[in-house]
Amino acid sequence: MTSLIAYITRRLIFLIFVLIGVTLMIFAITMLFSPEIRAYLYIRNIQHVTPDVVRSVIEKYGLNDPFYLQFSRWLGQVLQGNLGWSQSSAQPVAEAILTRWPYTFEIVIFAAPLIIFFGIYLGVQAGVHRNGIIDHVTRVFSIIGYSLPSFWLGLLLLSVFYGKLGWLPPGALSYEAEQAVHASSFVRYTHIDLIDGILNGQFWITLDVLKHVILPVIVIVVIDIAVLVRVMRSSMLESLSKQYVTAARAKGLDEKTVIYKHARRNALIPVATLSGMLVAGLLGGLVITETVFGFGGLGQWAANAAIGLDVPAVLGYAMLSALLFVIANLIVDIMYAYIDPRIRLE
Amino acid sequence: MEPRVKEWKFMVKRVRETPLALAGLIIIIFFILIALLAPVLAPPTYSDPFKIPQDKEIYSLTPNPTPPTLTHIFGTSDQQYDIYYACIWGTITAFRVGLTVVLISLIIGLILGVAAAYYGGILDEILMRFTDIIIAFPGLILAMALVLAFPAAIPINLSSIFLVFSIICSFIIIMAHPDKKLLLITQMIVVAFLVSYIYQPIVLHLEITNLDKVLFAIAIVGWPGYARLIRGEILRVKNEDYIEAAKAAGSSDFQIITKHILPNTIYPLLVVVSMDVGSIVLTAAALSFLGIGAPIDYADWGQMISRSRAWIRNPEMLASNFHTFFIPGLFITLFSLGWNLLGDALRDVLDPMLRRR
Repeated sequence: MTSLIAYITRRLIFLIFVLIGVTLMIFAITMLFSPEIRAYLYIRNIQHVTPDVVRSVIEKYGLNDPFYLQFSRWLGQVLQGNLGWSQSSAQPVAEAILTRWPYTFEIVIFAAPLIIFFGIYLGVQAGVHRNGIIDHVTRVFSIIGYSLPSFWLGLLLLSVFYGKLGWLPPGALSYEAEQAVHASSFVRYTHIDLIDGILNGQFWITLDVLKHVILPVIVIVVIDIAVLVRVMRSSMLESLSKQYVTAARAKGLDEKTVIYKHARRNALIPVATLSGMLVAGLLGGLVITETVFGFGGLGQWAANAAIGLDVPAVLGYAMLSALLFVIANLIVDIMYAYIDPRIRLE
Repeated sequence: MEPRVKEWKFMVKRVRETPLALAGLIIIIFFILIALLAPVLAPPTYSDPFKIPQDKEIYSLTPNPTPPTLTHIFGTSDQQYDIYYACIWGTITAFRVGLTVVLISLIIGLILGVAAAYYGGILDEILMRFTDIIIAFPGLILAMALVLAFPAAIPINLSSIFLVFSIICSFIIIMAHPDKKLLLITQMIVVAFLVSYIYQPIVLHLEITNLDKVLFAIAIVGWPGYARLIRGEILRVKNEDYIEAAKAAGSSDFQIITKHILPNTIYPLLVVVSMDVGSIVLTAAALSFLGIGAPIDYADWGQMISRSRAWIRNPEMLASNFHTFFIPGLFITLFSLGWNLLGDALRDVLDPMLRRR
């Protein structure tokens, strides 16, 4: 147990280094811009800007200072809990992240379980029936899956289900639902409309969310399931060729027990890592998919911030993603210690 | 037969026996043919062949896209750019993007991966933590930030480059041939460049197009994968007996790396390279889709699709302009599919666990 605590401590220290590294890198990139351009990030009313204003802003925020001074100043602000002002969304960065993440969450809560469940199921079947029909079919479909541009798939689905049929609209909520959600009688317990709809007894809002979520979820599942299926398959093949499987068969166990109790359990280990990374990646925002459907989650926000050269927002987003990535890594590693007694956390 | 030749023959035989690999190869060859025959298939109208011709006649009537006709067999996009032309010449763009990015990431990954694995220690630790940082980063957003932050023109001081280069050359010459005449000539060249550097530096303003920026950005995001793979592979073969033998025989580090280690790590690399060309083209297209990348009149598949972003909340436009994003998207998907099919088949052929069964 002490080794586990020491391990977690070490990983958390490592996390701090990763966060500093990530932000240092973004900061270095933004330093390629002239102080005049960066000054605009601090001006809330861009319409009335004179060169004098720009000069005073550069002076006030020390935009001409050396790199390390500017970075340490920003870091000091972050340590005090101030992530800065996001110019592209006209609100503080922390607030922007808090208002965007429920939308991303609404997609991930459906997409992630679907991907992991079907990915593992199809991968196991493909591995067990190597070179059988299911193996060939999943192989072809997964290769097509990761050859598909997500924005193209999204556009095709939109043009059919929205353009031609008018069934599944883009966006995260319809206009009526948007009005209802912002009405004073509607209590936003979680800020996740999907759940708040049920909690307020207004099920039509939840249904409305579901209607908007279907297409993005399809896009994510079709594209992201491919990798999981392939990894599960090859892991299963490797596991089936191991001696403990031969031993289990020699003991006279029936094939089902051999496959599901012996082979699959061991084959799941690499898939656990992949699933952890996948969920972390999804929670960090679905940049392209959210943009195609105008869903307004973290990913779309980050894309807009990057296009608008909104440095504080991009920095905040980068920290969030790195945080999710490292935490997912940590959880997976700790899970390993329980799944596989051979792995010692050193 | 020499074992390496035997290995290649075995590989080619296995690829030919796998229908999916064959399909992948056929798709790639099909695109190579399109790229080679582009001037015949779609004769350029401008001196820059990547500039898409615009049908001014229809444009005077309507800016909206028109469906396929005999003159424009894939139809036109908004502002009447010819989609067929863009798709044909976009093939060359796709090859350029895919192969250049793979090459750049491969070179960076190779140098750093070899350095980390072969020398180990603190260098290994620093390099690997650096790759951790880049991998922990949301790749697409990092690439976007890089594309936007790169300046459009980089001034390159040629004088300083020549100066350094000539000094190094003169040193090499002095070491190799202590010849008075040569020495004099090289010293004169060094002095000439020095004078030029001080009084009249030759500065080249290297213009960087948006597409070049996209290439660099994707390579910067992509190299850590290669560095890690190469490092892992080298660590795997580093302690093999034949490396020890080569060391005992007195081979230099450079010889051991190039003659013994790299040839043994090449097969897993082939798989990744093949799959990567496919995914790089997708990433580049995604950047174009987000509005970062090639300009509106440049023959690039992703750029063609990016205009449909404007119709996302307009069902009529989405339905009636189906061809403007369906056709370029089909090119992207097929191109990526070809490389992925090949890579997937290569993996099965090259995987020592699964081969020869």
